[in-house]
Amino acid sequence: MAMLSFAGMLRRSLVHRRARSVSALVAMTVSAGVATALLTLYADLDAKLHKEFRSFGANIVITAHANASLPSDVLARVQQAAGADALAAEFAYAVATTDTGTSVVVGGTDFAAVRRLDSWWQVDTWPDPALADAALLGQRAANFVGNEHAVALAYAGHSVTLRGVGRIKTGGDEDSRIYVPLAAFTAWTGVGPSVIELQVPGGAKRVEATMAQLQKELPDVQVQPVRQLVEGESRIVDRTHALMYGAVLLIALTVAVSVLATLSASVLERRRDFALMKALGGSQAQLMGMFLLEALVLALAGVAVGFVVGSAAAWAISEGNFHTATLPHLSVLPLVLLLNVAIAAIAALLPLRVLRGLQPAALLKGE
Amino acid sequence: MFFRLLMESFRRQRRRKMLAGIAILLGTTAVTAMLALATTIGDRIHKELAVYGANIVVYPKADLLDVKIGGVDVKPASGGAYLKESDLQKLRGIFWANNILGVSPELRVNQQAFPAGVGAPSVPATVVGLWFDHDFGGMKTGAAELHPSWKLEGSWPSLAGDASSWQVAVGEAFAKRLNLHVGSTFELPKDSQLANGGLVEAQVTGIVSTGDDLDSAILVPLTVAQAMANKPDAISRVEISARTKPEDAFARKDPDSLSPNDHEIWYCRPYANSIAYQIREAIPGAQAEQVRRVEQSEGNVLKRISGLMWLISAAALLAAGFAVSAAMATAILERRGEIGLMRSLGASKGAIAFLFYAETGLLAVFAGTIGYLLGSGLAAWLGARIFAGDGGAAEAVLIPVLLPVVVALALVVAIAGSTPSIRAALRMEPSAILREDG
Repeated sequence: MAMLSFAGMLRRSLVHRRARSVSALVAMTVSAGVATALLTLYADLDAKLHKEFRSFGANIVITAHANASLPSDVLARVQQAAGADALAAEFAYAVATTDTGTSVVVGGTDFAAVRRLDSWWQVDTWPDPALADAALLGQRAANFVGNEHAVALAYAGHSVTLRGVGRIKTGGDEDSRIYVPLAAFTAWTGVGPSVIELQVPGGAKRVEATMAQLQKELPDVQVQPVRQLVEGESRIVDRTHALMYGAVLLIALTVAVSVLATLSASVLERRRDFALMKALGGSQAQLMGMFLLEALVLALAGVAVGFVVGSAAAWAISEGNFHTATLPHLSVLPLVLLLNVAIAAIAALLPLRVLRGLQPAALLKGE
Repeated sequence: MFFRLLMESFRRQRRRKMLAGIAILLGTTAVTAMLALATTIGDRIHKELAVYGANIVVYPKADLLDVKIGGVDVKPASGGAYLKESDLQKLRGIFWANNILGVSPELRVNQQAFPAGVGAPSVPATVVGLWFDHDFGGMKTGAAELHPSWKLEGSWPSLAGDASSWQVAVGEAFAKRLNLHVGSTFELPKDSQLANGGLVEAQVTGIVSTGDDLDSAILVPLTVAQAMANKPDAISRVEISARTKPEDAFARKDPDSLSPNDHEIWYCRPYANSIAYQIREAIPGAQAEQVRRVEQSEGNVLKRISGLMWLISAAALLAAGFAVSAAMATAILERRGEIGLMRSLGASKGAIAFLFYAETGLLAVFAGTIGYLLGSGLAAWLGARIFAGDGGAAEAVLIPVLLPVVVALALVVAIAGSTPSIRAALRMEPSAILREDG
């Protein structure tokens, strides 16, 4: 009799008091949804923030020792040591003379790599990669060139005329330089690359590990961090992380306590049911099981709906803010489940402790 | 009568009021804390981002081209144009003067350094004149403030001492090369023309590690460098750290091509471009540019982090709204008996609704205000804990404008949450309610 009535009572209790069940379900869904959304965002936060910091450009600079060029295969070795997600660009420099007789630093580089690495370069039109003699002129350097479209330069007796395709504006040293493709640069000056700018994603730890690795594999070059970038990134990511942690705790606590209060009030409301069941011979354990089961069913349903809603919210937030999707994290599910079940169990059991001492007869009489 | 009902209801039904009150209190606490953090996060992160250095650089317009590779002047320009140190005071008169958080002028002089000891050969070195803890109209600023990542052993040089001895700080690499320690001395020519000066003793007060080309330079107070170069009041470059608004499409417009009206709007927004424009106007012969590497990326990071905080605040608002309205609905649902009783005693629907709304409103205002105070305290505590050690972190987090916002939100949510329950209870027959609840 007990088993049969258990399922039946549960179903009836949920269906009969529909308004109350729905409001409890909504409360559980909200708590599960909020927990899912925040935990999902939190799990992805560091990766997302580190990605934003990539726009600061290179965080490691590899240079040849004085008056030497880098070995010819160094870019490939650096790329291999730093991992596939690192961005690297090599630079070669020489001081040439323009047609107006001014000394200017000319840099040879791979425009495609620089464009990815140094996203802050403001360039009107990046040169066509097929164009071997394209030149980008720094906005200050452009004032010292006779003809911006046919840039005549001389280096150690070799002169060359390059096709100026646009200007660069950075507010830094680049403004007083002229950049040309590396192949054209080496063919003209005979100077090889002397600097590799490398950007390793992730925090200070990864940068340090990569530097140690590079130093071991390439003992004859200098490997230096761009210190303010490495330090700043870690500090800001850590602090945002801590802030987010505080926010998650705060919101989860608020929702949990409010939901707990709501649910336990509605359980307390049912003291007449409780008294009736007790008067009909239900034991304390049976009654507790009954109330608990009801709460757990609601909690599970809340988790099922809340996980979907919360994942969608997390996706929307990161799409809106970071412009990259955050996929649902199944790993947050156990925590959300635990949280919701705990809330439901406490909400069901707390009022029962209050009710335990009451006499069914007194309750039913309405005293 | 109405007030007595209201007061008695609060006096007698403490437990029931507690439930709704706690829900509103917690909800407003969370929302206030999140909103207070979200509104101040921009400034806080901006302070953290200061480690990336200046976002605006000013140099003489008629300057020759820098011939620098890796921070080293390959062909030092002789002559060239300079800005005037005294002109920097004009920065305090520009429209966005209050957004200028730091100013660091510099003057570079190429010099020979003579290690202590007779007969030691001289070493070429760059002497860089900088501001150290300079009082710029009440603001302590200078090179160290603009470069928080510099690490100093010892102390920054000052102008103390007589003309026969200068205090200097030296870069790490330079110190190693000359085997210098804090307190040791070497000699510097008094003048850029060796002939008419003689040597002055330089006393090392600090060894600095900067991670860039200054590691092999000698850092001196700006006045010393000016004296050494024989160019009083000259500076070759100024770095400025300014609080800016992240750049948008409007900021990239050329101000001179805008209509007078748009130009005014552009001018009065703290974009890096507008501030640079105002600096160009204020200082004759100056060219001011945003340092795009710092400015563009900072804007990006700032936008993302504050965007995240706002979205989380919105989520907090939504969740708190749900929680509060669910609690209100339950609280009213519990009191259907009262509603039935009042109606059977002849109270009109309107009077009952008004009584309940008044109760709800009073609760919302009261709990909302306490929640506001608690939330502000929480935000201040969280902010101070997370962003500790920023100096001046204990700024007021009590944002008065949030109080009406938070209380109004609490009111709206509480009333919206209780409306369905009140309506449902009013719609039922009083006798049915009374019979059901016994």
